[in-house]
Amino acid sequence: MLATSSRRRPLGRTIVHVAIVIALLFGVLAGAGGYWSVVMAPELVRSPYDPAVIAASRTVPRGRILDREGRTLARNETDADGELYRVYRGPAISHVVGYASTRFGRAGLERAYDAELSGLAGDPVGDVFRKFRSDPFDPKDLVLTIDYELQRAAVEALGDFRGAVVMLDPSTGEVLALASTPTYDASAIADPLTAEAAFGALQTDASEPLLPRATLGRYVPGSVFKIVTAIAGLGSDAITPETTFEEQPAAEEEGLLVDGFRIQDGHHPATGDLALDLAGATEVSCNIWYALSGLQTGGEALIQYAERLGFGSPIPFDLPTATSQVTNGNGDGPGGFVDDVELANAAYGQAETFVTPLQMALVASTIANGGELLRPYLVTDIISQGGSRREIDGASLGRVIDEADAAAISAGMVEAVEGELGQQFTAGARIPGVLTAGKSGTAELGGSGEPHSWFIGFAPADQPRIAIAVLVEQGGRGGEAAAPIAGRLMAAYLEGLE
Amino acid sequence: MTAGNPPASGSTSGSGVALPHILGPIRPRPRMTEAKLFALVALTLLVGRVSLSLTERGTFELADARGLGVYLGVLLAAHVAQVLAGRRSDQVLLPTVGLLGGISLLLMQRLPQDLVTLDVAGSTLGLGDVQLLWLCLAIVGATTIGLVVRSDRWLRRYKYTWAVVGIILLLLTFVFGSEVAGQRLTLRIGPFSGQPSELLKVILVIFLAGYLSENRPLLIEQDTRLGPFRLPPLAYLAPMLAMWAIALGVVVVQRDLGAALLFFAVFLALAYAATGRLSLVVIGLVLFLAGSTVMAQMFDHVRDRINIWIDPFADPLGAGYQIVQSLHAFARGGLLGTGLGAGLPTVGGRLPIPEIHTDFPLAALGEELGLVGVVAILGCFLVIVQRGLRIGAAAADDFRAILATGLALVIGVQAFIIAAGNLKVLPLTGVTLPFISYGGSSLLANAIVIGLLLALSDRGVEPPPAPSPVGRDGWRARRRLRSRRRLGAA
Repeated sequence: MLATSSRRRPLGRTIVHVAIVIALLFGVLAGAGGYWSVVMAPELVRSPYDPAVIAASRTVPRGRILDREGRTLARNETDADGELYRVYRGPAISHVVGYASTRFGRAGLERAYDAELSGLAGDPVGDVFRKFRSDPFDPKDLVLTIDYELQRAAVEALGDFRGAVVMLDPSTGEVLALASTPTYDASAIADPLTAEAAFGALQTDASEPLLPRATLGRYVPGSVFKIVTAIAGLGSDAITPETTFEEQPAAEEEGLLVDGFRIQDGHHPATGDLALDLAGATEVSCNIWYALSGLQTGGEALIQYAERLGFGSPIPFDLPTATSQVTNGNGDGPGGFVDDVELANAAYGQAETFVTPLQMALVASTIANGGELLRPYLVTDIISQGGSRREIDGASLGRVIDEADAAAISAGMVEAVEGELGQQFTAGARIPGVLTAGKSGTAELGGSGEPHSWFIGFAPADQPRIAIAVLVEQGGRGGEAAAPIAGRLMAAYLEGLE
Repeated sequence: MTAGNPPASGSTSGSGVALPHILGPIRPRPRMTEAKLFALVALTLLVGRVSLSLTERGTFELADARGLGVYLGVLLAAHVAQVLAGRRSDQVLLPTVGLLGGISLLLMQRLPQDLVTLDVAGSTLGLGDVQLLWLCLAIVGATTIGLVVRSDRWLRRYKYTWAVVGIILLLLTFVFGSEVAGQRLTLRIGPFSGQPSELLKVILVIFLAGYLSENRPLLIEQDTRLGPFRLPPLAYLAPMLAMWAIALGVVVVQRDLGAALLFFAVFLALAYAATGRLSLVVIGLVLFLAGSTVMAQMFDHVRDRINIWIDPFADPLGAGYQIVQSLHAFARGGLLGTGLGAGLPTVGGRLPIPEIHTDFPLAALGEELGLVGVVAILGCFLVIVQRGLRIGAAAADDFRAILATGLALVIGVQAFIIAAGNLKVLPLTGVTLPFISYGGSSLLANAIVIGLLLALSDRGVEPPPAPSPVGRDGWRARRRLRSRRRLGAA
């Protein structure tokens, strides 16, 4: 009875099923092999965790790093044991170039472009034949957009302050200077004889000299953020350059009441009962006008335009960047704001808003460029030893606002520097003979400490050649510390162009 | 219910009356397929050895090939022995295993020799020589088993004895096992040490083949309904739960995730092969997932493994180091590899991948032989599995079919588990890559598997006993037969 049952099949059939499953599983393995050996290989073989990369660094001379004028920023020397180590032009450039140390790894461009500098990066086709070559490495030189003299001037201008300067060519996105202070001596980290002591001292230094503040530092922006609010307001058509608010002059004395919170204005008694428009409010940095603008624009549009400018995600750049934010985003209101109080405060840069100096330089650069955001970049050429050259050009990251809106904001920023009332705040940014646009910021930190001093701007206002962001940590009022630094540096750059 | 009508032949051969199998006159029989394949294997390995010498030193001397020569000599001897014995067994298995073993030999000769040392008669053998010793023993062992085993009664009749032996092995490991790197895998008794789980997997397959073939009719034909599933009678699911418990026990006791996964996967595959019931596989997978989830909650080492698997790059210099280095090795190899011996040497006196000779030989070969080499090696394993399954499909009865299937799966699934671990397809577990990883236990256990497959494939072995009554009634019938026989003998 059992032997004759129709359900009892011979084993052969189920064994075939098992065979098929095993064959499929091994197919998956072959696929995974292809994924790691071919698809992911170009990325993995340049990783600083690849021991071949580490081993190569001891014997293969790294490519040089040059600035835009051809000045050597990083080169190789040989120590007593015949091992190579890096020597850098000076501390001013350390936060850009970084260091390559056999003991402490890599930072900056030395890390980001490690594969190119050590010569491990190739093309997939070339990699197939690499093993037939006696020297499998092809180190490449990097040419940067940085002007070393401008970079050094920026570091010197910051002096003993902690802070950052970012200078861009607004028409290309080339980064001309990317300074952070305090800085450090990268050569001391790269030199095997001094590496231990130098690195140890830097790591324990309370002023955090290893932190590249321009790209990774996040600060309360204060009034420089008003430019973002203006961009969102004009871009979403919530306001026009002529928009005035009748509540504004009335609230100048007592402050503007938003949901029980009183927004106090900065000190500009000279405007009296005048209802300010965009240019006027920008000239005197009117908190109340910008708070009302922000409320009229709404949280959603403010966030949307901020994200078009690069907020909310790391900026695509040659170096790692921190993410700038308008709000923590965990509120229930539109755009993630907690309530209108937060939105109104954010509109003039005093809520849960944190920005990097690089991000604010992009805001200024976007206005200077007529409303289009360009990708900032540091490396313009990658040159192989054989002479072949890969050029990297600027790229658009998209239009933020149209040209008319950008021009309106630009006009307000000119008033803020050149206007009769604006001069009282930011006279230091003026460049003799050149029409300058800008906005200062005084970021109150709460407590009794000095506020962060900010300035963003560009010049010449009618045909911008340079855009800038300056941050001076606890430097006091924006017009007092940051604006004069910006003025001097822009003047120096424009002079050099002539 | 079947007691009334036992099959007619059951009373004569079901009990396996032990007629000593008399070897007939030895009639040599050529094995041309095997001979050609061995020639190809020898050529491939010699080219590999020359290439290795040229890369390492720039010249090749005959002395370099001494180890390989010994190995090829043993392969030749295995071939000749089978020809002389006139065996009609499978001709593909040994050459395939021989190729994998040869690749292993070249790899172990190329790695730093002081990874493993063995003092023999005053001289010290390094990694390559020790592995050569094990490889030769494995080839000799597999061939011997293939030649000597002419009957499966000793496997078929004592399945519960085998199960007890397996459980004792497990317990011994628990009590006496020495802990290495958080895993309790190695059993040390006197001068001997070994990894019992390697032997355990063979015993497991023998037991399962016995159990499943005997109860196959019942497992197939009686249903218990459980929701949407039609299951075999619940009583017959007990071994399944026992298996599950043993697998979990291996994880808890030995901390050996790989062996547990291997046991359980082979069990499920065999249960399916024997019954054709997909519901068993589904329920098994559910049990597996439930077990893994609970394990991950309870045990740090399980959770760590899983987290490392999900994102090894989160901690590339710490927890994820091994697997990240393994992936880098595959990436450096690319499509064609760097060439034998041209892979990354030690970095700062350390191996690029710790435990490369036991846990990551595939990554090392991926670097030096490239994707092409990895696919070829995986292909060799697939060949072994498919030959084993063929032997199973062509077997004369259920026991042999399930046994051959299980033996093939043990090799295939184990190779899959560790290769998948190297390639980040599965969490990394510490099983060996059969025939390639360094290690005596692994090589000898897998040699037993190949030897049994050879024996099963031989068309000259003793025919299987006729089907006997099954189930509880069958057991009664068999006992009656036995007592009658004893009475008769007396």
